[in-house]
Amino acid sequence: MLDLLKIEYKKLIPYSTFWVIFGLFFLFTPIVFYGFGQVKIDAFPIDFATMYKFPNVWNNITYIASWFNLLIGMLLVILICNEFSFKTYRQQVIDGHSKADFIISKILLMSSFSLLSTLYLFIIGFFFGSFSGGEAPFLTDIKYLLIYFIQSLGYMSLGLIMAVLIRSSALSIILFICSIFVESIIRLLVPDNLAQFFPMKIISNLTPFPSPGGVQVANMNGVITEAISLNTTLIIAIIYIFSFWGISYVILTKKDIN
Amino acid sequence: MEAILNINGLSKRYGKVKALNNLSLQINRGDIYGILGPNGSGKTTTLGILLGVLNADSGSYSWNGKAPSKYDRKNIGSLIETPNFYPYLTARQNLSIVCKVKEVDESEVDSVLSIVDLINRADSKFKTFSLGMKQRLAIASALLGNPETLVLDEPTNGLDPQGIAEIRTIILDLAKEGKTIIMASHILDEVEKTCTHVAVLKLGNLLTYGPIQSVLNNQEQIVVASENLDGLKLTLSQIDGVSNIQQVGNKLSLMLATGKDSSYLNKSLFDKGIILSEISIQKPDLEANFLELIK
Repeated sequence: MLDLLKIEYKKLIPYSTFWVIFGLFFLFTPIVFYGFGQVKIDAFPIDFATMYKFPNVWNNITYIASWFNLLIGMLLVILICNEFSFKTYRQQVIDGHSKADFIISKILLMSSFSLLSTLYLFIIGFFFGSFSGGEAPFLTDIKYLLIYFIQSLGYMSLGLIMAVLIRSSALSIILFICSIFVESIIRLLVPDNLAQFFPMKIISNLTPFPSPGGVQVANMNGVITEAISLNTTLIIAIIYIFSFWGISYVILTKKDIN
Repeated sequence: MEAILNINGLSKRYGKVKALNNLSLQINRGDIYGILGPNGSGKTTTLGILLGVLNADSGSYSWNGKAPSKYDRKNIGSLIETPNFYPYLTARQNLSIVCKVKEVDESEVDSVLSIVDLINRADSKFKTFSLGMKQRLAIASALLGNPETLVLDEPTNGLDPQGIAEIRTIILDLAKEGKTIIMASHILDEVEKTCTHVAVLKLGNLLTYGPIQSVLNNQEQIVVASENLDGLKLTLSQIDGVSNIQQVGNKLSLMLATGKDSSYLNKSLFDKGIILSEISIQKPDLEANFLELIK
Protein backbone atom coordinates (compact mmCIF):
# COMPACT_ATOMS: atom_id res chain seq x y z
CA MET A 1 0.00 0.00 0.00
CA LEU A 2 2.66 2.47 1.03
CA ASP A 3 4.63 1.52 -2.08
CA LEU A 4 1.68 2.51 -4.24
CA LEU A 5 1.63 5.94 -2.62
CA LYS A 6 5.39 6.27 -3.08
CA ILE A 7 4.96 5.62 -6.80
CA GLU A 8 2.27 8.30 -6.95
CA TYR A 9 4.60 10.86 -5.37
CA LYS A 10 7.44 9.90 -7.73
CA LYS A 11 5.12 10.96 -10.54
CA LEU A 12 3.86 14.02 -8.68
CA ILE A 13 6.85 15.84 -7.24
CA PRO A 14 8.42 16.78 -10.60
CA TYR A 15 4.98 17.77 -11.97
CA SER A 16 4.64 21.55 -11.97
CA THR A 17 0.81 21.65 -12.13
CA PHE A 18 0.71 19.97 -8.71
CA TRP A 19 2.83 22.76 -7.19
CA VAL A 20 0.85 25.51 -8.92
CA ILE A 21 -2.55 24.25 -7.76
CA PHE A 22 -1.50 23.53 -4.19
CA GLY A 23 0.38 26.86 -4.20
CA LEU A 24 -2.84 28.66 -5.16
CA PHE A 25 -4.76 26.83 -2.44
CA PHE A 26 -2.13 27.60 0.19
CA LEU A 27 -2.00 31.24 -0.88
CA PHE A 28 -5.67 32.02 -1.41
CA THR A 29 -7.24 30.31 1.60
CA PRO A 30 -5.67 32.57 4.27
CA ILE A 31 -5.96 35.69 2.07
CA VAL A 32 -9.65 35.15 1.37
CA PHE A 33 -10.26 34.17 4.99
CA TYR A 34 -8.55 37.32 6.23
CA GLY A 35 -10.24 39.44 3.56
CA PHE A 36 -13.72 38.31 4.58
CA GLY A 37 -13.16 39.52 8.09
CA GLN A 38 -12.19 42.95 6.76
CA VAL A 39 -14.87 43.46 4.11
CA LYS A 40 -17.74 42.34 6.38
CA ILE A 41 -20.49 41.70 3.82
CA ASP A 42 -23.81 42.19 5.65
CA ALA A 43 -25.69 39.46 3.83
CA PHE A 44 -23.30 36.82 5.13
CA PRO A 45 -24.54 35.17 8.31
CA ILE A 46 -21.09 35.18 9.83
CA ASP A 47 -20.44 36.75 13.21
CA PHE A 48 -17.53 38.89 12.06
CA ALA A 49 -16.63 39.87 15.64
CA THR A 50 -15.73 36.28 16.56
CA MET A 51 -14.78 35.13 13.07
CA TYR A 52 -11.09 34.51 13.79
CA LYS A 53 -11.57 33.39 17.42
CA PHE A 54 -11.73 29.89 18.85
CA PRO A 55 -13.97 27.96 18.44
CA ASN A 56 -15.69 29.71 15.49
CA VAL A 57 -12.47 29.88 13.51
CA TRP A 58 -12.70 26.13 12.70
CA ASN A 59 -16.16 26.34 11.17
CA ASN A 60 -15.29 29.54 9.32
CA ILE A 61 -11.92 28.51 7.91
CA THR A 62 -13.24 25.16 6.66
CA TYR A 63 -16.25 26.93 5.12
CA ILE A 64 -14.00 29.33 3.21
CA ALA A 65 -11.55 26.58 2.26
CA SER A 66 -14.37 24.40 0.92
CA TRP A 67 -14.71 26.86 -1.99
CA PHE A 68 -11.29 25.72 -3.12
CA ASN A 69 -12.17 22.03 -3.01
CA LEU A 70 -12.98 22.18 -6.70
CA LEU A 71 -9.43 23.34 -7.37
CA ILE A 72 -7.90 20.29 -5.71
CA GLY A 73 -10.60 18.13 -7.30
CA MET A 74 -9.52 19.43 -10.71
CA LEU A 75 -5.89 18.59 -9.94
CA LEU A 76 -6.91 15.01 -9.16
CA VAL A 77 -8.95 14.80 -12.39
CA ILE A 78 -5.94 16.08 -14.38
CA LEU A 79 -3.59 13.59 -12.72
CA ILE A 80 -5.88 10.62 -13.43
CA CYS A 81 -6.65 11.68 -17.00
CA ASN A 82 -2.89 12.07 -17.60
CA GLU A 83 -2.50 8.37 -16.86
CA PHE A 84 -4.96 7.64 -19.66
CA SER A 85 -3.59 10.14 -22.18
CA PHE A 86 0.07 9.23 -21.54
CA LYS A 87 -1.05 5.55 -21.65
CA THR A 88 0.91 5.04 -18.45
CA TYR A 89 -2.08 3.34 -16.81
CA ARG A 90 -1.94 0.76 -19.58
CA GLN A 91 1.82 0.47 -19.23
CA GLN A 92 1.62 -0.05 -15.47
CA VAL A 93 -0.97 -2.79 -15.88
CA ILE A 94 1.32 -4.43 -18.45
CA ASP A 95 4.26 -4.06 -16.06
CA GLY A 96 2.43 -5.76 -13.21
CA HIS A 97 -0.19 -3.60 -11.52
CA SER A 98 -3.80 -4.73 -11.29
CA LYS A 99 -6.74 -2.47 -12.02
CA ALA A 100 -7.44 -2.50 -8.30
CA ASP A 101 -3.90 -1.24 -7.67
CA PHE A 102 -4.68 1.73 -9.91
CA ILE A 103 -7.84 2.67 -8.00
CA ILE A 104 -6.15 2.12 -4.63
CA SER A 105 -3.26 4.35 -5.72
CA LYS A 106 -5.64 7.13 -6.62
CA ILE A 107 -7.61 6.74 -3.38
CA LEU A 108 -4.38 6.94 -1.41
CA LEU A 109 -3.36 9.96 -3.45
CA MET A 110 -6.61 11.84 -2.83
CA SER A 111 -6.52 10.92 0.86
CA SER A 112 -3.03 12.38 1.07
CA PHE A 113 -4.28 15.57 -0.65
CA SER A 114 -7.13 15.81 1.86
CA LEU A 115 -4.73 15.24 4.72
CA LEU A 116 -2.34 17.86 3.40
CA SER A 117 -5.02 20.53 3.03
CA THR A 118 -6.60 19.66 6.39
CA LEU A 119 -3.23 19.98 8.14
CA TYR A 120 -2.72 23.31 6.42
CA LEU A 121 -6.13 24.54 7.62
CA PHE A 122 -5.21 23.41 11.11
CA ILE A 123 -2.09 25.58 10.98
CA ILE A 124 -3.93 28.59 9.50
CA GLY A 125 -6.82 28.21 11.95
CA PHE A 126 -4.47 27.84 14.87
CA PHE A 127 -2.55 30.92 13.74
CA PHE A 128 -5.67 33.11 13.40
CA GLY A 129 -7.17 31.73 16.61
CA SER A 130 -4.02 32.30 18.65
CA PHE A 131 -3.75 35.92 17.55
CA SER A 132 -7.42 36.68 18.11
CA GLY A 133 -7.94 34.74 21.31
CA GLY A 134 -11.39 33.47 22.22
CA GLU A 135 -13.24 31.98 25.10
CA ALA A 136 -12.85 28.31 24.19
CA PRO A 137 -9.75 26.11 24.21
CA PHE A 138 -8.50 25.57 20.66
CA LEU A 139 -9.61 21.93 20.49
CA THR A 140 -13.28 22.87 20.83
CA ASP A 141 -15.16 22.23 17.57
CA ILE A 142 -12.00 20.95 15.91
CA LYS A 143 -14.31 18.24 14.48
CA TYR A 144 -14.88 20.70 11.61
CA LEU A 145 -11.41 19.79 10.37
CA LEU A 146 -12.32 16.10 10.25
CA ILE A 147 -15.54 16.97 8.46
CA TYR A 148 -13.63 19.12 6.00
CA PHE A 149 -11.30 16.16 5.37
CA ILE A 150 -14.29 13.99 4.44
CA GLN A 151 -15.77 16.73 2.30
CA SER A 152 -12.63 17.20 0.28
CA LEU A 153 -12.47 13.40 -0.21
CA GLY A 154 -16.06 13.59 -1.41
CA TYR A 155 -15.35 16.12 -4.15
CA MET A 156 -12.27 14.24 -5.28
CA SER A 157 -14.17 10.94 -5.33
CA LEU A 158 -16.67 12.51 -7.71
CA GLY A 159 -13.66 13.66 -9.76
CA LEU A 160 -12.35 10.07 -9.77
CA ILE A 161 -15.58 8.76 -11.33
CA MET A 162 -15.61 11.52 -13.95
CA ALA A 163 -11.97 10.83 -14.82
CA VAL A 164 -12.26 7.04 -15.18
CA LEU A 165 -15.50 7.41 -17.10
CA ILE A 166 -14.48 10.12 -19.55
CA ARG A 167 -10.67 9.84 -19.60
CA SER A 168 -10.06 13.21 -21.21
CA SER A 169 -8.90 16.02 -18.90
CA ALA A 170 -10.80 18.92 -20.40
CA LEU A 171 -14.09 17.08 -20.75
CA SER A 172 -13.84 15.48 -17.30
CA ILE A 173 -13.22 18.83 -15.62
CA ILE A 174 -16.18 20.40 -17.41
CA LEU A 175 -18.45 17.52 -16.41
CA PHE A 176 -17.04 17.50 -12.88
CA ILE A 177 -18.09 21.13 -12.42
CA CYS A 178 -21.32 20.80 -14.42
CA SER A 179 -22.47 17.79 -12.41
CA ILE A 180 -22.43 19.93 -9.28
CA PHE A 181 -24.57 22.64 -10.91
CA VAL A 182 -26.81 20.19 -12.73
CA GLU A 183 -27.51 18.43 -9.45
CA SER A 184 -28.51 21.69 -7.83
CA ILE A 185 -30.98 22.32 -10.66
CA ILE A 186 -32.42 18.81 -10.38
CA ARG A 187 -32.79 19.37 -6.64
CA LEU A 188 -35.12 22.31 -7.33
CA LEU A 189 -37.42 19.95 -9.21
CA VAL A 190 -37.75 17.32 -6.48
CA PRO A 191 -39.26 17.67 -3.00
CA ASP A 192 -36.91 19.12 -0.39
CA ASN A 193 -36.93 16.06 1.85
CA LEU A 194 -35.59 14.05 -1.09
CA ALA A 195 -33.29 16.78 -2.45
CA GLN A 196 -31.34 17.05 0.76
CA PHE A 197 -30.03 13.49 0.29
CA PHE A 198 -28.48 14.18 -3.13
CA PRO A 199 -24.74 13.44 -3.08
CA MET A 200 -23.40 16.92 -3.82
CA LYS A 201 -25.88 18.46 -1.41
CA ILE A 202 -24.75 16.11 1.33
CA ILE A 203 -21.09 16.71 0.59
CA SER A 204 -21.37 20.49 0.38
CA ASN A 205 -23.38 20.56 3.62
CA LEU A 206 -20.41 19.12 5.46
CA THR A 207 -18.99 22.59 5.80
CA PRO A 208 -22.21 24.34 6.76
CA PHE A 209 -22.91 28.01 6.44
CA PRO A 210 -21.51 29.44 9.62
CA SER A 211 -24.02 31.58 11.50
CA PRO A 212 -24.07 33.33 14.84
CA GLY A 213 -26.89 31.11 16.00
CA GLY A 214 -24.80 28.00 15.76
CA VAL A 215 -24.88 25.33 13.11
CA GLN A 216 -27.79 25.67 10.76
CA VAL A 217 -28.10 24.32 7.30
CA ALA A 218 -29.28 26.57 4.54
CA ASN A 219 -30.03 25.59 0.99
CA MET A 220 -28.93 27.43 -2.14
CA ASN A 221 -31.50 30.20 -1.63
CA GLY A 222 -30.50 30.72 1.96
CA VAL A 223 -33.82 29.31 3.15
CA ILE A 224 -33.32 27.27 6.25
CA THR A 225 -34.93 23.89 5.78
CA GLU A 226 -35.45 21.08 8.19
CA ALA A 227 -31.86 20.04 8.43
CA ILE A 228 -30.29 16.62 8.67
CA SER A 229 -27.89 16.62 11.61
CA LEU A 230 -24.21 17.04 10.84
CA ASN A 231 -23.43 13.55 12.11
CA THR A 232 -26.01 11.96 9.82
CA THR A 233 -24.73 14.05 6.93
CA LEU A 234 -21.22 12.80 7.69
CA ILE A 235 -22.30 9.16 7.66
CA ILE A 236 -24.25 9.54 4.41
CA ALA A 237 -21.28 11.35 2.85
CA ILE A 238 -18.95 8.49 3.78
CA ILE A 239 -21.38 6.01 2.23
CA TYR A 240 -21.42 8.10 -0.96
CA ILE A 241 -17.62 8.23 -1.04
CA PHE A 242 -17.29 4.45 -0.74
CA SER A 243 -19.90 4.01 -3.48
CA PHE A 244 -18.00 6.40 -5.77
CA TRP A 245 -14.84 4.34 -5.24
CA GLY A 246 -16.70 1.10 -5.93
CA ILE A 247 -18.37 2.46 -9.07
CA SER A 248 -15.00 3.70 -10.37
CA TYR A 249 -13.49 0.26 -9.85
CA VAL A 250 -16.37 -1.44 -11.67
CA ILE A 251 -16.06 1.02 -14.59
CA LEU A 252 -12.34 0.20 -14.86
CA THR A 253 -12.74 -3.58 -14.76
CA LYS A 254 -15.47 -3.55 -17.42
CA LYS A 255 -13.48 -1.42 -19.84
CA ASP A 256 -10.60 -2.55 -22.02
CA ILE A 257 -7.45 -0.51 -21.71
CA ASN A 258 -6.70 1.00 -25.08
CA MET B 1 9.94 -28.86 -24.12
CA GLU B 2 8.58 -26.73 -21.39
CA ALA B 3 5.57 -24.56 -22.24
CA ILE B 4 5.92 -20.92 -21.17
CA LEU B 5 2.57 -19.89 -22.55
CA ASN B 6 -0.59 -21.83 -23.32
CA ILE B 7 -3.43 -20.18 -25.19
CA ASN B 8 -6.75 -22.00 -25.36
CA GLY B 9 -9.51 -20.79 -27.64
CA LEU B 10 -9.18 -17.04 -27.10
CA SER B 11 -11.86 -14.95 -28.81
CA LYS B 12 -12.52 -11.24 -28.76
CA ARG B 13 -15.01 -9.02 -30.54
CA TYR B 14 -15.14 -5.27 -30.99
CA GLY B 15 -18.80 -4.72 -31.69
CA LYS B 16 -19.50 -6.58 -34.91
CA VAL B 17 -15.85 -7.10 -35.78
CA LYS B 18 -14.36 -10.38 -34.71
CA ALA B 19 -10.83 -9.38 -33.77
CA LEU B 20 -9.73 -12.80 -32.61
CA ASN B 21 -11.40 -16.10 -33.32
CA ASN B 22 -10.72 -19.13 -31.15
CA LEU B 23 -6.93 -18.81 -31.05
CA SER B 24 -4.97 -21.68 -29.51
CA LEU B 25 -1.20 -21.76 -29.40
CA GLN B 26 1.63 -23.11 -27.26
CA ILE B 27 4.91 -21.30 -26.87
CA ASN B 28 7.89 -23.09 -25.35
CA ARG B 29 10.85 -21.86 -23.36
CA GLY B 30 13.59 -20.48 -25.60
CA ASP B 31 11.34 -19.95 -28.65
CA ILE B 32 11.56 -16.73 -30.58
CA TYR B 33 7.96 -16.77 -31.65
CA GLY B 34 6.81 -14.40 -34.35
CA ILE B 35 3.15 -13.54 -34.65
CA LEU B 36 2.81 -12.46 -38.22
CA GLY B 37 -0.12 -10.95 -40.02
CA PRO B 38 -1.31 -7.90 -41.87
CA ASN B 39 -2.69 -4.90 -39.98
CA GLY B 40 -5.96 -5.76 -38.27
CA SER B 41 -5.22 -9.47 -38.08
CA GLY B 42 -5.48 -9.64 -34.27
CA LYS B 43 -1.80 -9.55 -33.25
CA THR B 44 -2.04 -6.62 -30.87
CA THR B 45 -5.38 -7.87 -29.57
CA THR B 46 -3.74 -11.20 -28.73
CA LEU B 47 -0.83 -9.56 -26.90
CA GLY B 48 -3.21 -7.14 -25.15
CA ILE B 49 -5.18 -10.06 -23.72
CA LEU B 50 -2.02 -11.92 -22.69
CA LEU B 51 -0.80 -8.82 -20.83
CA GLY B 52 -4.02 -8.13 -18.97
CA VAL B 53 -5.10 -4.91 -20.69
CA LEU B 54 -7.90 -6.40 -22.80
CA ASN B 55 -10.65 -8.67 -21.54
CA ALA B 56 -11.18 -11.76 -23.72
CA ASP B 57 -14.77 -12.69 -24.55
CA SER B 58 -13.99 -16.37 -24.19
CA GLY B 59 -11.06 -18.74 -23.90
CA SER B 60 -8.16 -18.78 -21.50
CA TYR B 61 -4.40 -18.52 -21.28
CA SER B 62 -1.75 -19.37 -18.74
CA TRP B 63 1.82 -18.25 -18.21
CA ASN B 64 4.04 -21.03 -16.83
CA GLY B 65 0.98 -23.19 -16.31
CA LYS B 66 -0.60 -20.89 -13.74
CA ALA B 67 -3.80 -18.84 -13.90
CA PRO B 68 -3.03 -15.28 -15.05
CA SER B 69 -2.14 -12.75 -12.36
CA LYS B 70 -0.32 -9.46 -12.08
CA TYR B 71 2.69 -11.35 -10.71
CA ASP B 72 3.36 -13.06 -14.08
CA ARG B 73 3.41 -9.66 -15.71
CA LYS B 74 6.07 -8.40 -13.29
CA ASN B 75 8.36 -11.08 -14.76
CA ILE B 76 7.61 -10.35 -18.41
CA GLY B 77 9.36 -7.56 -20.27
CA SER B 78 6.89 -5.91 -22.62
CA LEU B 79 7.01 -3.39 -25.38
CA ILE B 80 3.59 -2.80 -26.86
CA GLU B 81 3.15 -0.48 -29.85
CA THR B 82 4.24 2.96 -28.68
CA PRO B 83 6.51 3.67 -25.72
CA ASN B 84 4.41 4.91 -22.79
CA PHE B 85 6.17 7.17 -20.31
CA TYR B 86 5.56 10.41 -18.42
CA PRO B 87 6.74 13.16 -20.81
CA TYR B 88 7.74 15.53 -18.01
CA LEU B 89 9.92 12.97 -16.20
CA THR B 90 13.49 12.09 -17.12
CA ALA B 91 14.47 8.69 -18.48
CA ARG B 92 15.85 7.73 -15.08
CA GLN B 93 12.75 8.92 -13.18
CA ASN B 94 10.50 7.02 -15.59
CA LEU B 95 12.45 3.80 -15.20
CA SER B 96 12.55 4.18 -11.45
CA ILE B 97 8.72 4.13 -11.48
CA VAL B 98 8.80 0.96 -13.60
CA CYS B 99 11.20 -0.59 -11.06
CA LYS B 100 8.73 0.12 -8.27
CA VAL B 101 5.85 -1.39 -10.25
CA LYS B 102 7.85 -4.50 -11.17
CA GLU B 103 9.36 -4.72 -7.68
CA VAL B 104 12.86 -4.64 -9.13
CA ASP B 105 15.86 -3.06 -7.45
CA GLU B 106 16.43 0.48 -8.73
CA SER B 107 20.14 -0.15 -9.14
CA GLU B 108 19.30 -1.86 -12.45
CA VAL B 109 18.25 1.41 -14.07
CA ASP B 110 21.76 2.48 -15.06
CA SER B 111 22.72 -0.90 -16.49
CA VAL B 112 19.66 -1.17 -18.75
CA LEU B 113 20.18 2.42 -19.89
CA SER B 114 23.73 1.45 -20.86
CA ILE B 115 22.53 -1.57 -22.83
CA VAL B 116 20.35 0.64 -25.04
CA ASP B 117 22.98 3.37 -25.15
CA LEU B 118 20.93 6.04 -23.40
CA ILE B 119 23.06 6.48 -20.31
CA ASN B 120 24.25 9.96 -21.42
CA ARG B 121 20.65 11.07 -21.73
CA ALA B 122 19.48 9.48 -18.45
CA ASP B 123 18.57 12.86 -16.96
CA SER B 124 16.88 14.32 -20.01
CA LYS B 125 13.12 14.55 -20.05
CA PHE B 126 11.29 11.89 -22.04
CA LYS B 127 9.52 14.52 -24.17
CA THR B 128 12.88 15.71 -25.55
CA PHE B 129 13.66 12.24 -26.97
CA SER B 130 13.52 11.31 -30.64
CA LEU B 131 11.29 8.42 -31.66
CA GLY B 132 14.26 6.05 -31.81
CA MET B 133 15.37 7.06 -28.33
CA LYS B 134 11.85 6.62 -26.98
CA GLN B 135 11.73 3.15 -28.46
CA ARG B 136 15.14 2.32 -26.97
CA LEU B 137 13.97 3.56 -23.57
CA ALA B 138 10.96 1.26 -23.89
CA ILE B 139 13.34 -1.65 -24.56
CA ALA B 140 15.41 -0.64 -21.54
CA SER B 141 12.23 -0.67 -19.50
CA ALA B 142 11.34 -4.14 -20.81
CA LEU B 143 14.77 -5.39 -19.70
CA LEU B 144 14.35 -4.32 -16.06
CA GLY B 145 14.36 -7.29 -13.74
CA ASN B 146 16.10 -9.42 -16.36
CA PRO B 147 12.85 -11.17 -17.37
CA GLU B 148 12.87 -14.68 -18.85
CA THR B 149 10.16 -13.73 -21.32
CA LEU B 150 9.85 -10.71 -23.56
CA VAL B 151 6.72 -9.64 -25.41
CA LEU B 152 7.37 -7.18 -28.22
CA ASP B 153 4.74 -5.64 -30.45
CA GLU B 154 6.08 -4.11 -33.65
CA PRO B 155 9.36 -3.27 -31.93
CA THR B 156 10.82 -1.47 -34.93
CA ASN B 157 7.69 0.45 -35.85
CA GLY B 158 8.44 3.95 -37.08
CA LEU B 159 12.21 3.65 -36.73
CA ASP B 160 14.77 4.63 -39.36
CA PRO B 161 16.95 1.87 -40.87
CA GLN B 162 19.73 2.44 -38.37
CA GLY B 163 17.26 2.28 -35.47
CA ILE B 164 15.76 -0.90 -36.89
CA ALA B 165 19.19 -2.50 -37.12
CA GLU B 166 20.01 -1.49 -33.53
CA ILE B 167 16.78 -2.89 -32.14
CA ARG B 168 17.29 -6.11 -34.09
CA THR B 169 20.79 -6.54 -32.69
CA ILE B 170 19.44 -6.10 -29.18
CA ILE B 171 16.70 -8.68 -29.80
CA LEU B 172 19.15 -11.20 -31.27
CA ASP B 173 21.53 -10.70 -28.33
CA LEU B 174 18.67 -11.40 -25.94
CA ALA B 175 17.73 -14.48 -27.92
CA LYS B 176 21.29 -15.76 -27.55
CA GLU B 177 20.90 -15.53 -23.78
CA GLY B 178 18.11 -18.09 -24.10
CA LYS B 179 15.21 -15.79 -23.39
CA THR B 180 11.77 -16.57 -24.74
CA ILE B 181 10.65 -13.82 -27.08
CA ILE B 182 7.14 -13.35 -28.43
CA MET B 183 7.10 -10.78 -31.18
CA ALA B 184 4.22 -9.45 -33.24
CA SER B 185 5.02 -7.94 -36.57
CA HIS B 186 3.57 -7.24 -39.96
CA ILE B 187 7.06 -7.06 -41.43
CA LEU B 188 7.96 -10.44 -42.83
CA ASP B 189 11.63 -9.61 -43.13
CA GLU B 190 11.81 -8.81 -39.43
CA VAL B 191 10.23 -12.10 -38.42
CA GLU B 192 12.37 -14.06 -40.85
CA LYS B 193 15.58 -12.50 -39.53
CA THR B 194 14.84 -13.03 -35.86
CA CYS B 195 12.30 -15.77 -35.20
CA THR B 196 12.54 -19.52 -34.78
CA HIS B 197 8.80 -20.09 -34.90
CA VAL B 198 5.93 -18.25 -36.45
CA ALA B 199 2.15 -18.13 -36.26
CA VAL B 200 0.31 -16.45 -39.09
CA LEU B 201 -2.93 -14.62 -38.32
CA LYS B 202 -5.48 -13.19 -40.68
CA LEU B 203 -8.69 -11.43 -39.62
CA GLY B 204 -8.42 -13.03 -36.20
CA ASN B 205 -7.97 -16.57 -37.49
CA LEU B 206 -4.83 -18.64 -37.04
CA LEU B 207 -3.86 -19.73 -40.55
CA THR B 208 -0.78 -21.76 -39.79
CA TYR B 209 1.97 -22.08 -37.22
CA GLY B 210 5.18 -23.94 -36.52
CA PRO B 211 8.96 -23.67 -37.07
CA ILE B 212 9.67 -20.86 -39.48
CA GLN B 213 11.20 -23.05 -42.23
CA SER B 214 8.17 -25.29 -42.46
CA VAL B 215 5.67 -22.45 -42.40
CA LEU B 216 7.32 -20.07 -44.82
CA ASN B 217 9.06 -22.73 -46.89
CA ASN B 218 12.23 -20.73 -47.08
CA GLN B 219 14.27 -23.37 -48.87
CA GLU B 220 16.64 -22.12 -51.54
CA GLN B 221 15.72 -22.61 -55.14
CA ILE B 222 18.15 -23.52 -57.89
CA VAL B 223 17.60 -22.13 -61.35
CA VAL B 224 19.17 -23.92 -64.30
CA ALA B 225 19.08 -23.45 -68.05
CA SER B 226 20.39 -25.41 -71.02
CA GLU B 227 20.16 -25.47 -74.83
CA ASN B 228 18.04 -28.59 -74.61
CA LEU B 229 15.35 -27.65 -72.07
CA ASP B 230 13.20 -30.78 -72.55
CA GLY B 231 16.20 -33.06 -72.12
CA LEU B 232 17.21 -31.13 -69.03
CA LYS B 233 13.73 -31.49 -67.56
CA LEU B 234 13.68 -35.24 -68.17
CA THR B 235 17.18 -35.78 -66.78
CA LEU B 236 16.49 -33.66 -63.69
CA SER B 237 13.52 -35.82 -62.75
CA GLN B 238 15.86 -38.82 -62.69
CA ILE B 239 18.36 -37.24 -60.29
CA ASP B 240 18.13 -38.21 -56.64
CA GLY B 241 17.15 -35.33 -54.29
CA VAL B 242 15.62 -33.03 -56.89
CA SER B 243 12.05 -31.91 -56.39
CA ASN B 244 9.60 -29.23 -57.36
CA ILE B 245 10.77 -28.77 -60.91
CA GLN B 246 9.03 -25.83 -62.50
CA GLN B 247 9.50 -24.06 -65.77
CA VAL B 248 10.05 -20.31 -65.49
CA GLY B 249 10.34 -18.80 -68.94
CA ASN B 250 13.16 -20.66 -70.67
CA LYS B 251 14.71 -21.76 -67.37
CA LEU B 252 13.85 -24.40 -64.82
CA SER B 253 13.65 -23.91 -61.09
CA LEU B 254 13.97 -26.76 -58.63
CA MET B 255 14.64 -27.58 -55.01
CA LEU B 256 17.36 -29.79 -53.64
CA ALA B 257 17.08 -32.08 -50.64
CA THR B 258 19.16 -31.01 -47.63
CA GLY B 259 22.77 -32.13 -47.93
CA LYS B 260 22.82 -31.77 -51.72
CA ASP B 261 24.23 -28.63 -53.27
CA SER B 262 24.54 -27.00 -56.66
CA SER B 263 27.89 -28.61 -57.49
CA TYR B 264 26.34 -32.05 -56.86
CA LEU B 265 23.58 -31.12 -59.29
CA ASN B 266 25.98 -29.79 -61.90
CA LYS B 267 28.12 -32.91 -61.70
CA SER B 268 25.14 -35.28 -61.91
CA LEU B 269 23.83 -33.51 -65.01
CA PHE B 270 27.27 -33.44 -66.64
CA ASP B 271 27.61 -37.19 -66.03
CA LYS B 272 24.30 -37.68 -67.86
CA GLY B 273 25.49 -35.60 -70.78
CA ILE B 274 23.70 -32.35 -70.08
CA ILE B 275 25.73 -29.15 -70.26
CA LEU B 276 24.22 -26.26 -68.33
CA SER B 277 24.32 -22.77 -69.82
CA GLU B 278 23.35 -21.28 -66.47
CA ILE B 279 23.09 -22.36 -62.86
CA SER B 280 22.21 -20.01 -60.01
CA ILE B 281 20.96 -20.16 -56.48
CA GLN B 282 17.92 -18.06 -55.65
CA LYS B 283 16.97 -16.90 -52.21
CA PRO B 284 13.38 -17.92 -51.53
CA ASP B 285 10.71 -15.34 -52.17
CA LEU B 286 9.24 -15.28 -48.67
CA GLU B 287 7.16 -12.29 -49.52
CA ALA B 288 5.40 -14.29 -52.23
CA ASN B 289 4.93 -17.23 -49.87
CA PHE B 290 3.50 -15.00 -47.22
CA LEU B 291 1.15 -13.21 -49.56
CA GLU B 292 0.02 -16.58 -50.88
CA LEU B 293 -0.62 -17.68 -47.31
CA ILE B 294 -2.78 -14.73 -46.29
CA LYS B 295 -4.69 -14.48 -49.58
